[in-house]
Amino acid sequence: MSVRIAKLFAPVAIALVTTGAAQAETLYVATGGSQNMVDYVTDYLGPMFEEQNPGWTVNTVGTGPGDAGSQAILEKLDAQKGRDSWDTDVIVTNQLKTAEMVESGLLQQYRDQIGTGDLVTSASARMALGTDVDGYVMPMFSSQTAIAYNPDLVEDVPASLDDIKAWAAAHPGGFGYNGIKNGMSGVAFTTAWIYAYGGDAQDMIDGPYEETAKEGWDQAFADLKAFNQNVTFTPGNAGTLDMLNRGEIAMGPVWVDMFYTWQADGRLNPNLKLLLPEPGMPGQPYYYAIPAKAAHAEAAMKFIELATSPEVQAEGIVKKFNWYPGIDAQHIESALDEETWNKLFTDVSPANLAANAKPFPLGAYFSDMLEQYETNVTN
Amino acid sequence: MISRRTSLMLIAPALVLMAVLFLTPLGYSLIWAFREEEAGRWGIGNFTKAWSFYSADILFSLVIVTLSAALIGALSIAISGYLTLGRSRRAVALLRWLYRWPLFIPFVVAAQVMRTFLAKNGMMNNALVELGLLTPLQTASYLDWRGIVITFAWKQTPFVTLLLAGAMASLDRSMIESAQNLGARRLRILFGIVVPQVAQTLMVGLILSYVMMMSVLSVPMMINAQQPTMLTVDMAWRINAYGDYGVANALGFIAYLMTAAVAWGYLRKELRDRKGHA
Repeated sequence: MSVRIAKLFAPVAIALVTTGAAQAETLYVATGGSQNMVDYVTDYLGPMFEEQNPGWTVNTVGTGPGDAGSQAILEKLDAQKGRDSWDTDVIVTNQLKTAEMVESGLLQQYRDQIGTGDLVTSASARMALGTDVDGYVMPMFSSQTAIAYNPDLVEDVPASLDDIKAWAAAHPGGFGYNGIKNGMSGVAFTTAWIYAYGGDAQDMIDGPYEETAKEGWDQAFADLKAFNQNVTFTPGNAGTLDMLNRGEIAMGPVWVDMFYTWQADGRLNPNLKLLLPEPGMPGQPYYYAIPAKAAHAEAAMKFIELATSPEVQAEGIVKKFNWYPGIDAQHIESALDEETWNKLFTDVSPANLAANAKPFPLGAYFSDMLEQYETNVTN
Repeated sequence: MISRRTSLMLIAPALVLMAVLFLTPLGYSLIWAFREEEAGRWGIGNFTKAWSFYSADILFSLVIVTLSAALIGALSIAISGYLTLGRSRRAVALLRWLYRWPLFIPFVVAAQVMRTFLAKNGMMNNALVELGLLTPLQTASYLDWRGIVITFAWKQTPFVTLLLAGAMASLDRSMIESAQNLGARRLRILFGIVVPQVAQTLMVGLILSYVMMMSVLSVPMMINAQQPTMLTVDMAWRINAYGDYGVANALGFIAYLMTAAVAWGYLRKELRDRKGHA
């Protein structure tokens, strides 16, 4: 009898609790990526959400760049697996780790439940490094790596990885990158190297995965080891930009968005330029996703809806933070002036981007590549 | 007189804390270094992987820490030697006041300070350029293995000096004075009379520094972006990027072995000392 009564009143009790709590609720957002991504949520998106949803506070945690940052979020969710309600409502993670989380059932499908779900049709919203993530993710932005260089120090601007190799050999210490342990721009350069010298890049991107493929990379990694003898190692994504700015290196792989943002903030020599070499360098989206048992799933959807609305994508993602938009470009072009839109393509033209911007390889190839870098290049 | 039982009860909380907070995690990580999670069995797979991935880093750690310890030894003998034998009172007082400062600075802060100090266009090179000793093109960044050694030496020298200067101050000065009376020069007094008497204290200081330097993550991470790097960075990388606790534990095990070898020397010496006093 008492169980029945309890069941009867349970919905009422829950409703009461949630309305009561709505007075002062906190939405917990965990974001991987460099500091600019944390800034984006704390300084821009969070306050906007709080303004539109009185009573809500957005609490943001940054977990750091590269796989490590997103891995931290994965481990946090995994640790709460047995509980009914998880303490993280929105996560922002990279492709590799998001795919792993989808596979291990840590995320929930939500894209068809939000108004902006059909504004994105790109392949990256459906597949992440070979894993089907359709419905689980909304791309926050697309980002691209490129080679930044100092025109005062680089006379013959390289157009391909071959040219960069030759230039670095002729100018020891002039080329700088951050290896693979200190952020994704170095990983991206390593990927570009394997795309160029390790066999068929398209196979690594489209799959299917073949375990034997990595055996063909020996020469490429041996060359990279020789190449490393002539380069300067930088302490991270920001470290490469810092050293470029101080003139300590003349060339290095960077994230395009960080480059433009730093330049706009006056933290980077305005003369520095970007190039996207042949046969191509990788880029990646970061995803908004909702943990399977997020305590505030509904608010999380609202938050992501706001974040992927054309206005926010235009104003925040493109104009303020210099990323390429996460949703389809045609939806935001109308919300932007021509000048801002063109600023994204100052150094790297849309045609150049179409030809040389590549995704990262399948997750399994990606892991093979990093492991081989450690065994063949650094050890 | 406290009974045996009471004394056991009195130290029980400390023992329990040691067991729960220190020995358990230590034992746990030592054992789990032998667990091959993917294969679901026990074996030395993590160690072979750790060696094939990081053998260069293991040797690098050993060389860096040994080199730093040697440098710390030399510097602390020089400083404490001057504190004991120095003739200019003002210089001794100044040195005594100055040398302890790094003791109060955490490793991570020391690393950050060195980053701005040793960079290619950092404070040290800028000063040298301003003084006309170098041209901007000749400057080189010290943010590599040299940076780590410099930071370690800077941070740990005061610690060893503190121990050493204390030991030197408690020496019987009559031997030093009689050597002086016989016309021995100060350098000869230092190495012929003073250092041999404080050698054990020096060893203890260096061993403690060695163990401490092996465990520092912030310094190699912030100063040395290159390869090879120190074991702590690799352990952090295995855990942060892959959640691979197996290989990280194996690397930890190797680090334990490296410090255990030195700690064994320390314990043996301690035991011998106790026996000598008893």
